[in-house]
Amino acid sequence: MSVCKIKTLKNNTRMSTQELLQTISKKIDEGYTDFEIEACGQHDIGGTSWSKTGKDLFFRVINPGQRVGAMAMNGTTIVVEGSAPADVGWLNSGAEIIVKGDGGDTAAHCAAGGKIYIGGRVGTRSGALMKHDPKFEPPEFWVLKNTGSFSFEFMGGGIAVICGYNCDELLSVLGNRSCVGMVGGVVYVRGKVEGLASCVEVVKLDKLDKDFLKSGMTPFLQKIGHLDLKEELLDFSKWRKIIPLTNEVKKTKISVKEFKEKEWFQEGLFGDLVEDDGAVYELAQTDKARLRKPIWNSNLCVGCDICINNCPQKAITKEDNKYISADSKCIGCGICSAVCPRNAWSVTSTN
Amino acid sequence: MAAVRINELHKNDLPWIIEYDESKCIQCGKCTAACSFNAIRPAVEQRKSNSITNKCKTERVLVIKQNISLENYCRGCGMCANVCPNGAIKAVRNKDDKYSVAYRAEKADSFKKGGRSNLNTEGRTLDKIKVGRISQMTDPSLDAQRHTFELRTPFGRVLKADRLNFDVKNGNMIETTQLPPNRWIYPVIFGDMSIGAVSWRMWEAMAIATAYLNEVMGIPICMCTGEGGIPTKLLKSRYVKYMILQIASGHFGWNRIIKSMPDMTEVPAGILIKIGQGAKPGDGGLLLASKVARYVQEIRGVPKADLLSPPTHQGLYSIEESVQKMFLSMNAAFNFRVPVAVKVAASVTSVSVYNNLLRDPYNIVGGFFLDGLAAGTGAAHEISLNHTGHPITSKLRDCYLTAVKQGRQGEIPLFAGGGLGQTGSFAADAFKLICLGANGVFTGRMLMEIAGCVGSDTGKCNACNTGLCPAGIAAQNDNLVKRLDVDKVAQNLVNYILATDIELKKLMAPVGCSSLPIGRSDALITVDKHIARRLDIQYGC
Repeated sequence: MSVCKIKTLKNNTRMSTQELLQTISKKIDEGYTDFEIEACGQHDIGGTSWSKTGKDLFFRVINPGQRVGAMAMNGTTIVVEGSAPADVGWLNSGAEIIVKGDGGDTAAHCAAGGKIYIGGRVGTRSGALMKHDPKFEPPEFWVLKNTGSFSFEFMGGGIAVICGYNCDELLSVLGNRSCVGMVGGVVYVRGKVEGLASCVEVVKLDKLDKDFLKSGMTPFLQKIGHLDLKEELLDFSKWRKIIPLTNEVKKTKISVKEFKEKEWFQEGLFGDLVEDDGAVYELAQTDKARLRKPIWNSNLCVGCDICINNCPQKAITKEDNKYISADSKCIGCGICSAVCPRNAWSVTSTN
Repeated sequence: MAAVRINELHKNDLPWIIEYDESKCIQCGKCTAACSFNAIRPAVEQRKSNSITNKCKTERVLVIKQNISLENYCRGCGMCANVCPNGAIKAVRNKDDKYSVAYRAEKADSFKKGGRSNLNTEGRTLDKIKVGRISQMTDPSLDAQRHTFELRTPFGRVLKADRLNFDVKNGNMIETTQLPPNRWIYPVIFGDMSIGAVSWRMWEAMAIATAYLNEVMGIPICMCTGEGGIPTKLLKSRYVKYMILQIASGHFGWNRIIKSMPDMTEVPAGILIKIGQGAKPGDGGLLLASKVARYVQEIRGVPKADLLSPPTHQGLYSIEESVQKMFLSMNAAFNFRVPVAVKVAASVTSVSVYNNLLRDPYNIVGGFFLDGLAAGTGAAHEISLNHTGHPITSKLRDCYLTAVKQGRQGEIPLFAGGGLGQTGSFAADAFKLICLGANGVFTGRMLMEIAGCVGSDTGKCNACNTGLCPAGIAAQNDNLVKRLDVDKVAQNLVNYILATDIELKKLMAPVGCSSLPIGRSDALITVDKHIARRLDIQYGC
């Protein structure tokens, strides 16, 4: 069948988004697969469309509104001649979306499949929440120039390639505070990057990365009409990739104990003021660490051995009719004093 | 057998009664060994033998008994129960407690205690306030875990833009006169507990946690030293830059601070002039002799005696004079490079003080700390603790609004404290006070709780004044201090602040604030009409 051409402005009357999308749907049912749409800012062009006979769909669009290719499917190709506003390829699940000019804010937002090619730059929060369902190919998001701030927020998967072309004057080709909350996927980036979130790291490319960029760069540049830049963009000296830190890496900060050992005062802050070896006492201690200790008075003792028999720590012994409580065993409980019929044992504070 | 007379102290007069189950006791002696208050003792009871014989036999039985004494009495700390292998002993609250009556009747002296007021029977204002303005579809809310938040707050005098003296020279902006010193600090300050009020281990744990949070975690928290001296080592180290040095009416420890100045490589974060504290407003510091350990004597330069700080700074008779003398001298001490703030107890008069300070022509007042009546203390007369003071919330609000009316909010940052976290919601309390106009909060109470304080607001333990703190936090008995695990306490303090950081963000995010919402009272609602009217916030029901 021939190309279905839709002009959305007739006699100074603009077709509504609803009318346009329902027209497209009707035409697909009639067998059309190839569309040329002269839009007037209608939303959602090219999204959630499929032919009942399983044929691929092709949309050539000028002047689209927001969310071109939103929720678009496998087998759909959308080419925007010129620029497109916000949400290009929002929730894209498999379409190939080519924007020859700039994309707006939140381009490729939540994309989980397909390929999105942008021939200029994209706005804020682009690539945010991209995901990769492992049963399908990962989404790809190629941008010739740069992104706005907060891009790739909460990114969970997929591949982004930000070529940083003609961006030398920018402080950061990803704007500020990009990759906040990024937990998966990879962002390849060429040029300066500043203000990244702390949950990601920037690393050098390995061979697999370079192979990926080499194989993907030609079709990307071809589709946006910039094959002339191939040599410049495949100079890997300016390329790096951003990946999320693993949970293990995030926890590599030294513990307080290590900090104390390495950085704090050697003998402790009060080392020259108090005697303190750092031992942590239990509630019941022996020796000098006791709160109280027993003292034996030979004048009152009748030698009945009740103290020896009742001492829970078996601390008391008798030598030459003298009773001795071993400091190393005694916890200062005072039982010897309590059971002594003659008050020969008394308890005194150690402090 | 001892005679029992009506006018003698009896077990039933004491605040806590020891419940002892002889059938479970193995007489290991650990409970009596562990009791820091010497409130229990092993004792021998004469019992009639159970066996029926021709002669009446008695037997001697070893038991654990409670001491009945005004000095050595149970505070309900629970260490006996903690150490008992069999659960044979515990302290039970005595509803008919007459201890404080007996104490006064016997001693002809006012009753002193540590910890906090035990008269918090009414609900707290902060608990009746909710964060009620949540971004839903009106404006974007934020993600607390993953977005970037700026929690720092200014500490130091802030000049309005039209009073900044800048000029352009060779294409660069230059200051034509020196601006008042200012720091961007974390909005929670570890609040002024002195060496002496707390043990050396507790103080060191707080200092380590402060240093660690700053240097490893990047959280610029400050610790106010309290006024009990500071180890010279610390003064000469890089860590002093996280410390707010305190000067109170006792001026303890300043000799060593001044002597250390030529060797200091960093200046402190600030200086806090303590005029009063919320737990006992109008009263001075009180460190009973039992807590004046040898090192405390040394560092403070005093003998072992009850240390009473005067209730006011001697020599200061008015707000204006305070500015001229105290603020000026403290600013001069570090060559006008360190913010100097003041801490007063919340009071009916707080607004007048704040208003006056706002008019200080020298711009040398760098912060106003308000301490509410639910604050804790190392030691106080019970009458002050229970019956003097002013709740923090409305007074903080009054101060903030008086500045707003003059278009001068934020010029002297407000910090609020006193009883924060009392009902387990420290971050929420902090957030609500910030929305009501505080630049930040300070807490000592939470640090104690985190360190393992066993006390409560309902009369448990509260023996911080005795030096016999069973947890080693407020103890000055060496063997009790050594119960405290410095590493563990420091780590727990750090962890608590990290948790608080998350929780503050969890409140900032739904309000849609990525920076501290100081004075954003539109974020709050209250379920109490009187509170709504008093604080000028929305009423919701």
